[in-house]
Amino acid sequence: MPTETNIRLFEVTTKDLDGLPDARGESVRSMLKVDHGIDVLSVRVILGYQVRSDVSDIEAESLIYDLFADPVIEVGSMSSRMLESFSNPPEAAIQIGFKPGVTDNSGQAGLDGLLTLFPNQSSAIVATSTTYAFWGVEAGISPNDLASILHNPLIERAAVAGREDCSKGSWPLLEFPEMPPVTFQEPATVDLEVSDEELITISEQGLLALNIAEMRAIQAHYRDPTVRSAREAMSLPSDRPTDAELECLAQTWSEHCSHKIFAARIRHTDKVTGEDSTIDSLFKTHIMQPTLDIQGDVDWLLSIFHDNSGVISWNDDWSVCIKAETHNSPSALDPYGGAITGIVGVNRDILGTGLGARPIANTDVFCFGPPDYSGTIPPGLFHPSRVFRGVHSGVRSGGNESGIPTVNGAIVFDERYIGKPLVFCGTVGIMPRLLADGRESHVKTPQPGDIVYMVGGRVGSDGIHGATFSSLELTEESPSSAVQIGDPITQKKMIDMILEARDAGLIQVITDNGAGGLSSSVGEMAELTGGAILDLGAVPLKQAGLSSWEILVSESQERMTVGIRPEDCADFESLAALHEVEATAVGSFTDSGAFVVRHGETPVANLPINFLFDGCPQLILESEWQPPVHLPVETPDLDDSEMGATLGRLLARPNVASKEWWVRSYDHEVIAQSVIKPFVGVNRDAPGDAAVIAPLQGGIQGLVVSNGIAPRYSDIDAYAMAAASVDEALRNAVCVGVDLDLISGLDNFCWPDPIESAKTPDGKYKLAQLVRANRALDDVCRAYRLPCISGKDSMKNDSMLGGEKISVPPTLLFSLLGNHHDVRKAVSSDFKKPGDAIFLIGQTHQELGASELSYMLRDDGAGGIGGTVPEIDPERNMTAYRALTAAMSRELVASAHDCSDGGLAVALAECCFGSDSGAKLDITPIWSDCDHLDTWGALFGESLGRILVSTSPDDRKAFEKSMEGITCHYIGDVSSDDGISFSRHGDVILSASMRELRESWKGTLHGEGA
Amino acid sequence: MEPKVAVLSGFGINCEIETMAVFEMAGALVERVHVNRLVRGEASLSDYQIMAIPGGFSFGDHLGSGRLLGNRLRFGLREQVREFVSSGKPVIGICNGFQVLVKMGLLPGDDEVSLTQTASLALNDSGRYENRWVTLEFDPDSPCIWTTGLERIRVPVRHGEGKFVTDNAKLMDSWADSGQLVARYVDPNTTYPSSGDDTLPYPISPNQSWRNVAGVCDPSGLVFGLMPHPEANHSTWLGPSWTREDTAHGEGEGMGIFHNAVRHVLQD
Repeated sequence: MPTETNIRLFEVTTKDLDGLPDARGESVRSMLKVDHGIDVLSVRVILGYQVRSDVSDIEAESLIYDLFADPVIEVGSMSSRMLESFSNPPEAAIQIGFKPGVTDNSGQAGLDGLLTLFPNQSSAIVATSTTYAFWGVEAGISPNDLASILHNPLIERAAVAGREDCSKGSWPLLEFPEMPPVTFQEPATVDLEVSDEELITISEQGLLALNIAEMRAIQAHYRDPTVRSAREAMSLPSDRPTDAELECLAQTWSEHCSHKIFAARIRHTDKVTGEDSTIDSLFKTHIMQPTLDIQGDVDWLLSIFHDNSGVISWNDDWSVCIKAETHNSPSALDPYGGAITGIVGVNRDILGTGLGARPIANTDVFCFGPPDYSGTIPPGLFHPSRVFRGVHSGVRSGGNESGIPTVNGAIVFDERYIGKPLVFCGTVGIMPRLLADGRESHVKTPQPGDIVYMVGGRVGSDGIHGATFSSLELTEESPSSAVQIGDPITQKKMIDMILEARDAGLIQVITDNGAGGLSSSVGEMAELTGGAILDLGAVPLKQAGLSSWEILVSESQERMTVGIRPEDCADFESLAALHEVEATAVGSFTDSGAFVVRHGETPVANLPINFLFDGCPQLILESEWQPPVHLPVETPDLDDSEMGATLGRLLARPNVASKEWWVRSYDHEVIAQSVIKPFVGVNRDAPGDAAVIAPLQGGIQGLVVSNGIAPRYSDIDAYAMAAASVDEALRNAVCVGVDLDLISGLDNFCWPDPIESAKTPDGKYKLAQLVRANRALDDVCRAYRLPCISGKDSMKNDSMLGGEKISVPPTLLFSLLGNHHDVRKAVSSDFKKPGDAIFLIGQTHQELGASELSYMLRDDGAGGIGGTVPEIDPERNMTAYRALTAAMSRELVASAHDCSDGGLAVALAECCFGSDSGAKLDITPIWSDCDHLDTWGALFGESLGRILVSTSPDDRKAFEKSMEGITCHYIGDVSSDDGISFSRHGDVILSASMRELRESWKGTLHGEGA
Repeated sequence: MEPKVAVLSGFGINCEIETMAVFEMAGALVERVHVNRLVRGEASLSDYQIMAIPGGFSFGDHLGSGRLLGNRLRFGLREQVREFVSSGKPVIGICNGFQVLVKMGLLPGDDEVSLTQTASLALNDSGRYENRWVTLEFDPDSPCIWTTGLERIRVPVRHGEGKFVTDNAKLMDSWADSGQLVARYVDPNTTYPSSGDDTLPYPISPNQSWRNVAGVCDPSGLVFGLMPHPEANHSTWLGPSWTREDTAHGEGEGMGIFHNAVRHVLQD
């Protein structure tokens, strides 16, 4: 019997049972208090599901408890409002739901569940919403204030009812999120025979992010008579590009995809040394060349720079790969969606490496504004605490739901990240060296004639212009279509399916659909065979009516593009069907020399491969180095207990404080491989250094994953910043006992726009910072024999809002992936036993410039951050690192922890947190490193290359012998009491109670309030 | 002959690698079986002696953890599952797999294997997902074949919805009487046995589960589910603070559970 299509609202809330709180409501109450200082007595949360279907009333009734509500712990309703059921009407009620077209993962899951019960309802739609009911809201806070905290108007809608409405039972109700119909636009052409001004207008209005030289290069292409005749033969307009061609070129040539600044020819001048030189591509000169030189000496660099991630040989049977991406602009607009999309996106880079690698570990590094920032926030930006919470939540979903452990990370705070947060998402992958059919899995093997499949999600209007958008600064006009919400479960199903296809030998070539969508993925792979033909009419869409160019460039998530031999297509499709993954043939590879796009019978684009990939003109830029001037650090005169209090304040600084509350909600142990975990020690609350994982179940060979980041050193010199980042990553890896003969790195640059212009008058300085950072990377990586195997850059991290420009500090994240010979010998950072001897490895110099201490004292109102920024001596460091890791392999080292933010004093406190112990130190010996060291420099300076180590009394002699010739000062012992003290020549210079230090350290970043 | 284990996969299950590994380490033959292969009849549960539903985020935990996969099994595999259990074959559900077994009504279950849901796993009182290590204590009088002879183990929890509750308090008593409340969170600083009914403080009980329940079995003791991850502690170097301990390296504390099941099948 046919039934009518109608919309029903199902609602679910927690049942009233003793001992069963509404934990969702309680979380909202606590978030309002901690992040916004708003007191509310109680909050209840109601989950809503609007279902448009043609199920009968009886069938619908069964959905309440068979699908939506848990019959034991929840109550459900259909078509009557749950808000009615509270004995006291709420003072405010707010319903939040997505805007039409925004990815609704719960809704999608609800539909899947509906189809399990009623398989004939495939045209049904489920849309979710959340209703919040409030009681006891503090005076002065309106329902609209609460609504603005609870939803992001870019992607969500809110319906609000105040006290009066609630008392009348006039409840908030969102309409069903109806997608407005999209009208298909016939492919258009763009006339480029116009003035330069008009060319720029075309670029700006189309969000193409192409400069005049690039627009002219495109103009010239369409004037080429051979191009024109080829186009005529294809029935394409001969003398002008189609909109799809122009979009495709803009994506491929975007800063995001083609790294134009790193490829630029730079005239570099140095006001200090008088240098005046030319650099032909920073990337080729300072990143690629050192790696190529190292590649000449080792046999384990399998695939570098050209694939979606860099691949190294780990042992005879397995290779491993690593990649990090940033997802900054989307995370500024929608922190949750931006972060989740960043994670699942970089996971796809791993899946798209070689013939497909399995993602096995994530690392996440974030840079935010201070969570306690009390200044004004420019309109259009979120408060840092909200960005933090949203990004954190996105990582939790993206990582946990994908079954990929988040093994390591960092969070850095600085006011300049208010304009654009930096969200670095990194992933490590593993793949068998050889497939069953004998192919090496890191080599793609496409042939002309292979069929192009699009696998995973469908294409929608979400995510159009992501690549070009991220190549522009953030403004009020930034498009909401650039924001997406990742769907980890669709992707997980796809990963399962792709890896089975790989092992069955079905995959010839694979890449992910990220920036630029199909135009980039098919275009890039077409470069391998020399051509491809793509039929946009075959591409499955989320919504009918998308225009050709939109389908071509949309960055809708969870999609891979895969090449399959024609004879394997049936097997591939049946594997996809088993996993309930959509896989559609959308074209084929050719050797025609061109990337050809049709939409059904209509020709849409014909782009010669060499023009698409090599036609973008090189940028010509200028840089000029003039060191900045800062007020020097001013240190007060304090006694030992006041110095102890200073240490307590440093430990409470967000950059140093414990992040445990946040990090605990990342799964760091799925896949059962976590040897050195993010938290170590007797109470498992002390920070670990690098992560160590043993990815082969039961195996003792390990991988070490670490990160280094020191953006504030850029305030003095970006050379020091980059050197410190590399050293920190390696130092952390050394602390767990990495195999120094198999270490590889990733460089991830996030810079403010370094191209001089009216908007960026200091472009030459910012570019000089980039030059100096690259030179440091080159110098230090060569000295450490640490090749960069992949990397990424994001070069427009500025925001212009309300007339105010905020640029991020030049930031390099250096990530390291190394080998560990035997994880049973891995070392953790916590002190082990009272009586163990404590050593400081490495030299301490008077280096307080741009230290965490200097920022704290400056924030107190005294002095500046000027002074000597930590300088690197990579040869000296490497000698010490080799000696230390050798001692670790002989099991002579009880603990090792690196000295970074806050220096020796902070490192000591952290080692003590891990053992519930104290320590008594006499640091007189370290003055032998530097004759002008002062107490502040000794305790809080951040000199590089230093590691705080402990050994048991039994191993002490052998340890000291193994460190002969290395700066390795014995400075004291672990004690069983609650106190730490530092003395020099018998005078106590710092003393503190560990209990108090622990409270400071744990109190700052506690997400529920300590 | 080695028992054959079906480790289910698909739809966001994500602990199948380590779940397969622990059964192999315990001496079983293991196959990963996509749920759809069972639903479509391409594979049959009757070919296996043990079934494991690993942890993960099936369907993203949307509409409640384990709910949608539980429905797929309850509606798509009803008779296969009932036959498997009725024929005396062991089943384990870990974390999300436990949530699936509870929501499809196989746990705590009944003698008739009626697949009626009587308990649930609610949001942790903290309202959030957490990864942390806990200590479990097992009921020595339980019929559970998976925990025979085991006293305490350390294992990680990794969940947001692990608070074991029911809306019928009498059932808690009857499950306790029949030894079905087999695994409980316990304060590691007490001596064995010491598990009790009063809710232990957070984070010893990470979710404020009723009576500190971490895992339950069915009346027969063959079907067992628990929120923590014993398969994540298969080797000593994965332990919570192994760098502080002077133990010889080898098998981890979680392995006893899997040895028990393999031994049970071999003795049968």
